[in-house]
Amino acid sequence: MWLAWRNLNHDRFRFLVTIVGIAFAVFLMIFQGSLLVGFLRASSKSIDVTDADLWIAGRGVESFEFAAPLPERFYDIAVGVEGVEAVYRMTLGFAFWQKPSGMRQSVLLIGAEPGTGSQFPIPYVDAGQTSVASEAVLVDRSNARTLGVDVVPAGTEISARRAQVVEVIDGFGTFFGTPYVFTGYADAVRYLRWPGDAIVFLIVRVQPGHDPQEVKRALQRKLPEVDVWTRDEFSRRARAFWVRKTGAGGAILLVALLGFLVGLVIVSQNIYATTMENLEEFATLKAIGARRWYIQKVVLTQALACGIVGSFVGLLALLPLMEPIRNTISWIDMPWWLPFGMIFVGLLMCVLASVASIKKALAVEPARVFRA
Amino acid sequence: MAEEISITYGSGHAATPALRDVSLNFFPGRLVLVMGPSGSGKTTLLSVLGCMLLPDQGDVHVRGQSVRGLSESQRVDLRRHSIGYVFQAFRLFRSLTALENLVLALDVAGRAKDGAKAKAEQALAAVGLSDKWRLKPGELSGGEKQRVAIARALINDPPIVLADEPTASLDWRSGEGIAAMLLRIAKEHGKLVVVVTHDPRMTPFGQRIVKMEDGRVVEDAEQG
Repeated sequence: MWLAWRNLNHDRFRFLVTIVGIAFAVFLMIFQGSLLVGFLRASSKSIDVTDADLWIAGRGVESFEFAAPLPERFYDIAVGVEGVEAVYRMTLGFAFWQKPSGMRQSVLLIGAEPGTGSQFPIPYVDAGQTSVASEAVLVDRSNARTLGVDVVPAGTEISARRAQVVEVIDGFGTFFGTPYVFTGYADAVRYLRWPGDAIVFLIVRVQPGHDPQEVKRALQRKLPEVDVWTRDEFSRRARAFWVRKTGAGGAILLVALLGFLVGLVIVSQNIYATTMENLEEFATLKAIGARRWYIQKVVLTQALACGIVGSFVGLLALLPLMEPIRNTISWIDMPWWLPFGMIFVGLLMCVLASVASIKKALAVEPARVFRA
Repeated sequence: MAEEISITYGSGHAATPALRDVSLNFFPGRLVLVMGPSGSGKTTLLSVLGCMLLPDQGDVHVRGQSVRGLSESQRVDLRRHSIGYVFQAFRLFRSLTALENLVLALDVAGRAKDGAKAKAEQALAAVGLSDKWRLKPGELSGGEKQRVAIARALINDPPIVLADEPTASLDWRSGEGIAAMLLRIAKEHGKLVVVVTHDPRMTPFGQRIVKMEDGRVVEDAEQG
């Protein structure tokens, strides 16, 4: 549809304004989408990286970070349930981290037993991941400065007990302000100084050939005081908690939606204005016998051309900024499908925005061409 | 052929009759001038003859076909294949060159594929603008714009050409040139050319003059 391209090329300033509007909208949507995806992934990351088939948690626990302890005997009961291959203990709680400056920093200390998952951060002694280093902890690179860790190994104190940072890891940055610190189960119990029961989660691996749902029901029958979830169920539950029940998640979701709406308004305004400017030409097209689809094609091509160019400009503007942004917001995550998805949404937005314009262009009275 | 056509704009106390029982017969190869003061219904008549406006009463027949019985898309087809238009304000596409304006008219008619450019070049040459093909409307004089508009009206070879005040925006010399061109189109190409005008310069070129007042035909006379 060369007429559409020529119209856009003729009024370059308006074309530029439309491109900037769409680029801004797509930029906003991809950025907010990355925040949302990153937030969702971060809120369930500690669950997703385990090799567990099932999670046993206190009744009503909705997220990984805010959980209540379980009685120690539940571990023995769970081990004895048919179909259970192994059960691993995990504990977590808030503790005070002593910085080299003498200041103290609140951290979320997480301790797990070997076997929890090959990707789950535990300070192992050996490559086979069987023995845990004593008094050793791991911190995320994005939190290292907050914790005063400049080099490793670095000595510190957690709840007035000696600890050593043996490695700085990636991908486990905090998304809610308090840094995560990972250690072995036994050390975590010591650092947290639990008065009695220390287990917060039981991580269950099901024997091959057994249906996890069957084992889940069996565990639930034996342990009616707790909740038993498959890993995916608990992951979804944690994400839902952070998005729906906390202001942070809700705000990110809302801003992502607002990004779409603001984009839609900007794009609609510009495409509508472009059509209105060419209304006399659409009347001429109608007068000289252009069919409806011909006019629809012109308006739609104009809208899609703006959408394609604007989307790529928005994406190109965002890509170089992602690294600096990631240095500030470590958990932001832009999966490969997000830009494509948002460009598709951007194009959809342009098509939606052109609907009103098409209606206006089709409704124009051809006889108006006789007015000077 | 216009058959007892009437049109009223507005309703109730604001009702304004624009055409009252107008009946006219037109024949190919003639240049017909429709003249009259402002508000006499000339442009409304042209809109009705051009199948852009349906009369409240009466009917228009284009090449023997009743317009009243046609759907909107059929009227669009009829306009595309049977009628060429020349407007007072030229109505050229400002983003396109003179040549492209003609190619667009071919494209609208679904004829842009086979030698469209060559055909458009020929049409521009026929109106004496072969050297101006790459200029946009903004770079052409009024007379040149109107000649491009005439070339566009003729490019799909319609049997009827309707022109609305084609000389009103032009200087004396250009206006006369356009009038002569329209007469030549009627005579040499055997087309019916209906021109709405109140430009007296057009009068010597008209083969028939229809005069209108208050929506009625008050005089219909052959000339020379």
